Amino acid sequence: MINAIETNQLTKRFGDVLAVDAINLRVGTGEIYGFLGLNGAGKTTTIRALLGMVRPSAGDVKVLGQALGPDGRGPWAQVGHLVESPSAYPELSVRENLDIARRLHAKQDSKIVDEIIERLVLGSYADRKAGTLSMGNLQRLGLARALLHEPELLILDEPANGLDPAGVVEIRDLLRSLAHEKGVTIFMSSHILTEVDKLASRIGIIHKGKLIEELDTQKLELLRAKHLEVQVRNLEAAQICLQSAGFKFTIKDETILLNDAQALARPDYIAHILVNAGSAPTRLAIEQQNLEEHFLQLTGGAQ
Amino acid sequence: MNNFASALWVETLKMRRSKVPLFTVLGFSIAPLIGGLFMIILKDPIKAQSMGLISTKAQLAAGTAEWSTLFNMLAQANAVGGGVIFAIFTAWIFGREFSDHTAKELLALPTSREAIVGAKFVVTAVWTYLLVLWCYVLGLIVGQLVDIPGWTPELFRSATVDILGSGLLVIILLPFVAFSASAGKGYLPSFGWLVLTVVMAQIAAITGWGDWFPWSVPALFAGAVGPRTEFLGAHSYVIIILASLIGLAATFYWWRNADQTK
Repeated sequence: MINAIETNQLTKRFGDVLAVDAINLRVGTGEIYGFLGLNGAGKTTTIRALLGMVRPSAGDVKVLGQALGPDGRGPWAQVGHLVESPSAYPELSVRENLDIARRLHAKQDSKIVDEIIERLVLGSYADRKAGTLSMGNLQRLGLARALLHEPELLILDEPANGLDPAGVVEIRDLLRSLAHEKGVTIFMSSHILTEVDKLASRIGIIHKGKLIEELDTQKLELLRAKHLEVQVRNLEAAQICLQSAGFKFTIKDETILLNDAQALARPDYIAHILVNAGSAPTRLAIEQQNLEEHFLQLTGGAQ
Repeated sequence: MNNFASALWVETLKMRRSKVPLFTVLGFSIAPLIGGLFMIILKDPIKAQSMGLISTKAQLAAGTAEWSTLFNMLAQANAVGGGVIFAIFTAWIFGREFSDHTAKELLALPTSREAIVGAKFVVTAVWTYLLVLWCYVLGLIVGQLVDIPGWTPELFRSATVDILGSGLLVIILLPFVAFSASAGKGYLPSFGWLVLTVVMAQIAAITGWGDWFPWSVPALFAGAVGPRTEFLGAHSYVIIILASLIGLAATFYWWRNADQTK
């Protein structure tokens, strides 16, 4: 299978600043890849390198199987993008801004502009000058421009920026349907963890220019999995009780961790058998190690 | 070619929707209209004296009320005023993409960057030359309305070369403005470049090296210090074309190869 995106030792320096440090990315066709990082981690520089906007100091980039040229040439007819904050020609209407994108994508059929306006719910703003749009609608215009030519690959930098909560859900559903129904590959960066967590099938975490971890579907499932935490005064007695009741568990920091579906569905039953065994729980809680915790552990929080 | 046609359509639409071209027309109407006012004043010196400072200055600056004086003013306006207004227009065409943060929308497209930059240059050249023609035609109309003497076919022919030629020379030098607006990522660096070239052109002309300094050549061509044959040689035209080609090459190279981080 050809990777939709492939980088080999991608490195970008700006003078003394090492913005991206030897990143090896592989994004398969049809994947939704979330690219997470703190502000200044190197997300946007990586995205600009993927789009041929900055030249790698070292390494190379392949997009849809094609190596990007030093002059920024690439398979751009099949790629839609949204980089950093959305922008548009302020004195042109929403429709005219999209018509410009249509022309530059060499698309003859002007109906695609009307279709994307309808799809991104921009109808009531179609003839309004872009300079008068709210941040959220400007973001919609940017997304409309990225989707206008029905690309095979979408490279989106913070696609949920500026959208209201309903807009975030709407765009998430739209991206999900593009990936699942049309096989569009989506590479999206974000610092909004929940957003990436809800959409991505794979996640890469970038920190100080380095790709420090990639989480595949299995690991994400694990991270998203809940467990029951039980603390008791007599750990040994509680273990014997749970073993004899047929539960599997692990011990971590004097805490019993149960992943069993029955335990998660009926924590009251766990409490009941422990009380009957004379080892009443001092703490009983369903916990979920989420992506946020994992991310903060990896990146050292807000440091 | 389709790529280029698309890019040209896009640049034309952006220009049509902006007020900047209108302001350049207004700006370039000033010279012929002021020239006409000077001619009215100079036609009647007694009345002009009674008008005070303005008429005195007009007498000093413009000479006598005749076609050769008006044509000379128009040629100077193209060479000097054109340099300023055309540079502002060029800075807007190229620099707006960075001020509006739209440059990033022009880079990863099936339409090549060369086509986009080429279209920007074509729009700049066509519009600025239309301004030259507008200044020329408006000057002719104003001269006819004021009814000044001294019209001869020979004067008309040579003045046409002076006015249209000096405008053309200014336009030929615009690629460096485009380059400074692009590499400087906005309007300000190109305005800095404009001020630098205006000052340097004055210094070069005063020190007698104007024929070797491209940005002095348009004013010398327009007859700012006397007949151009005395001050300009073939080398002056070669050097102005070389400067233009270097500016063009630098702008295309920058858009193709420079890191685009804005």
